[in-house]
Amino acid sequence: MTPTLFGRWQSRFFLLGTVGSLTTLLFAVLFRSLIPFILLAVVLLLGLGWDVVYDRLQKRRWDRDWPPTLQLAAGVAEGVLLAGLLYGARLLPPPTPTQFVLHYTAVWLTTFLASQSLMRLIFPRWRYHGGQWI
Amino acid sequence: MNPTTLLTLHWRDPLTGESRTQTAVYPLTIGRSPDNTIQLNSSFVSSHHLRIEDSDGQAWLQDLGSRNGTRLNGKLVGKTAVLLTTPSHIEIGPYSLHLTQPPGDGRTATLTNLLDPATLAAIRQSYQQPAPALAFSSASDALEATGSSEPAALPPIFQQRVVPLAALNQPYESKTYLSVGGGLGSFAWINHLVVYGAAPDDILTIGFEPKPYGRYQRLCRNSQIPDHERLRSNSDSCPDNLWGWPGYGVREMWGAVKNGRFSHAATIGWQLFNEPYVQTYTPVAGHVFAAIDREAERIGWRQLWRHGRVRAIRQTDDGRYLVAYTHLRDGQPDQHRLVVCRYLHLAVGYPGVRFLPDLQAYRAQSGDFRRVVNAYEAHDHVYDALAQRGGTVLIRGRGIVASRIIQRLHELRTQHGSPIAILHLMRQPLAEGQQFDHAQREVSNHWEFQPFNWPKAAWGGDLRRQLEQASDAERKELLACWGGTTTADRRDWRTMVDDGLREGWYEIRFGAVQGVEAAENGRLSLTLQRDTTLTHQTSLEADFIIDATGLEAGLESNGLLRDLVNQYDLPRNARGGLKVSNAFEVEALRHGEGRVYASGIVTLGGPFAAVDSFLGLQFAALRSVDQLTAVRATGLRRLDGLRSLNQWTRWAIGAKP
Ligand SMILES: Cc1cc2nc3c(=O)[nH]c(=O)nc-3n(C[C@H](O)[C@H](O)[C@H](O)COP(=O)(O)OP(=O)(O)OC[C@H]3O[C@@H](n4cnc5c(N)ncnc54)[C@H](O)[C@@H]3O)c2cc1C
Repeated sequence: MTPTLFGRWQSRFFLLGTVGSLTTLLFAVLFRSLIPFILLAVVLLLGLGWDVVYDRLQKRRWDRDWPPTLQLAAGVAEGVLLAGLLYGARLLPPPTPTQFVLHYTAVWLTTFLASQSLMRLIFPRWRYHGGQWI
Repeated sequence: MNPTTLLTLHWRDPLTGESRTQTAVYPLTIGRSPDNTIQLNSSFVSSHHLRIEDSDGQAWLQDLGSRNGTRLNGKLVGKTAVLLTTPSHIEIGPYSLHLTQPPGDGRTATLTNLLDPATLAAIRQSYQQPAPALAFSSASDALEATGSSEPAALPPIFQQRVVPLAALNQPYESKTYLSVGGGLGSFAWINHLVVYGAAPDDILTIGFEPKPYGRYQRLCRNSQIPDHERLRSNSDSCPDNLWGWPGYGVREMWGAVKNGRFSHAATIGWQLFNEPYVQTYTPVAGHVFAAIDREAERIGWRQLWRHGRVRAIRQTDDGRYLVAYTHLRDGQPDQHRLVVCRYLHLAVGYPGVRFLPDLQAYRAQSGDFRRVVNAYEAHDHVYDALAQRGGTVLIRGRGIVASRIIQRLHELRTQHGSPIAILHLMRQPLAEGQQFDHAQREVSNHWEFQPFNWPKAAWGGDLRRQLEQASDAERKELLACWGGTTTADRRDWRTMVDDGLREGWYEIRFGAVQGVEAAENGRLSLTLQRDTTLTHQTSLEADFIIDATGLEAGLESNGLLRDLVNQYDLPRNARGGLKVSNAFEVEALRHGEGRVYASGIVTLGGPFAAVDSFLGLQFAALRSVDQLTAVRATGLRRLDGLRSLNQWTRWAIGAKP
């Protein structure tokens, strides 16, 4: 994919707000806790900053693209930072590590798959506009 | 009129392979210049090459002092007229024309069907008057007034910029949408129209090829990409699917899973996920064609396609466009017809093929079209000869086509054991790749690599936006930086070049060519310019020369575009392309409610870099059909959200849009 910074932000909002929220709802019910939703909000907020970093890196690539491999790497990096904040800085009452990994992976995977398919089907211009849907 | 003064001429365009049939009344002339009855576009054809006249009820052929001569049934003809009988065979440069009498006994009847009296009068007149000159530079108004691709056959009313429909003495048909070309650009445009809601009955496309990929497939085959080879195209550039999902990669994976070829499916999955770190996925040509066939069937392409050649376009006095075309019908005489439409789309593809001047000069002098060839013309005889006897091939150009040709020669070497040597002549060494901002393109062995012909972000990322927002002059610079001659980073190609260099059957030479001639030993000899400091060598010898330097974008080579540009003073962009808006509209032709759009290589230099690509054709279609939707063109409704999802579902299950 070849997202622009605005495209990254917009897609992050849309995907976490829809597919990501649905997945999170499932885990919230399963774990009987609201923490997954708080985590989702944190991923969204931190992501706004991460996206700036990704955008910088992306501009150093000749094709200015962001292939799936890098999306995965970015997902891992964000997860590691989040885990650090959760378990190191103890900002929130943390879920068990298994719960965290399951929830985080599920959200990443569903949003990734939706970005590869569903986004294009409901927003035919999205792929030309670097991930912007507005 | 004497019914015997009709001749049918059949020929195949040597570059594009298009088969042409034209029935004409003689006296007629054949030549390169557009005022001939039959125009043959090649530098080996003189501007007025030959004339066919009738005298005493018989046909006579006369060479008009052409530079490269004319052969009638194999014999060279001089300036004295020779008797022409049918069937006959005429050779002019790379063209070979077959002459017959038009079929059927009712010749007089066919003649009246064929041409209306006004046209016939115009034809007659054009032989009595000095031929009108065409203005290429659009320097003078007078020249432009007569400028037209085929003045001899166009009704006189086409000399006006705005045609009053009431004054036409010929019936015409009406359509809302018309796309000229019938190639992949037309296909993308019409596909969008139909998916957005236009009724197929309101749409017409006119072209030479029944299949939208007809010309494309031929150019691919000529440049050594047969149907089973992979293209240089992205997985989700799908002319058959405007959403780009599922792409060809996912479809190929799915097909492999269904056939139990799990390891193949896994390989493609791995490739798609990890490109460009592992070799970028590209689809098989034949798969793309099959997918287009399926979509063509779904949108009713066969019903809205018409076999013809568009000759001229004029604005009408009711805010529409009048299109004159020759209806080509198998085994029947051509018919000149008119159609009027409100929204017009121009997608005529490459106007011509570029040929290096020194090679052109050699072909003109020697008449040798077999040993010096262009990569885009049919040249299988070169590989056949090499497979049998071996030899040295000199290649010019270092793009994707050069790579493919070297691959083909490499295959001949390994499969047939033919002693084939490749000399790759480059103008100068290439040590460093192009730079843009913080990024640089990769170079190896003087080849520059890039997965596709533009950086990926030029299709849908920040580079696309940057170009769209740039001024005309900036666009030219950006395009020069991002484009250029590059090839795909295919592992097999890189290995092949490395092996060839090491084993000595592939050599790279540098220099500018001064001239090519046939050497005394029967080979071809190239003289290099002495002032070049890059080489100590002054000449090279080869058995074949293949020009793989590319296709050209000069609008003038297409008679229809030339006429349109001249007639309406159409502005050009900084690269010489047709100036279009960000919605791909030729705004200079807007008139009343009517609008004209263009797509493909002729718009290069405009708002989008990759105009000559599947995805670029789709982008142009999307932009123009969005604009048409905004002005409430017949049948169109905005495609977004659930409506888009619904249309995609119809695509997925194969239901009509
Ligand atoms: C060898 C090769 C390989 C390519 N590979 C790829 C690839 O892998 N991926 C990719 O995205 N792009 C590729 N391209 C680029 C591009 O996608 C194709 O060239 C594509 O066919 C362009 O579509 P078009 O509609 O502009 O032209 P075409 O498909 O050539 O269609 C134009 C049609 O207009 C007709 N025409 C011209 N004048 C008239 C007239 N006066 N009246 C009626 N009809 C007329 C022509 O006969 C032709 O059939 C490739 C190009 C070439 C040459």
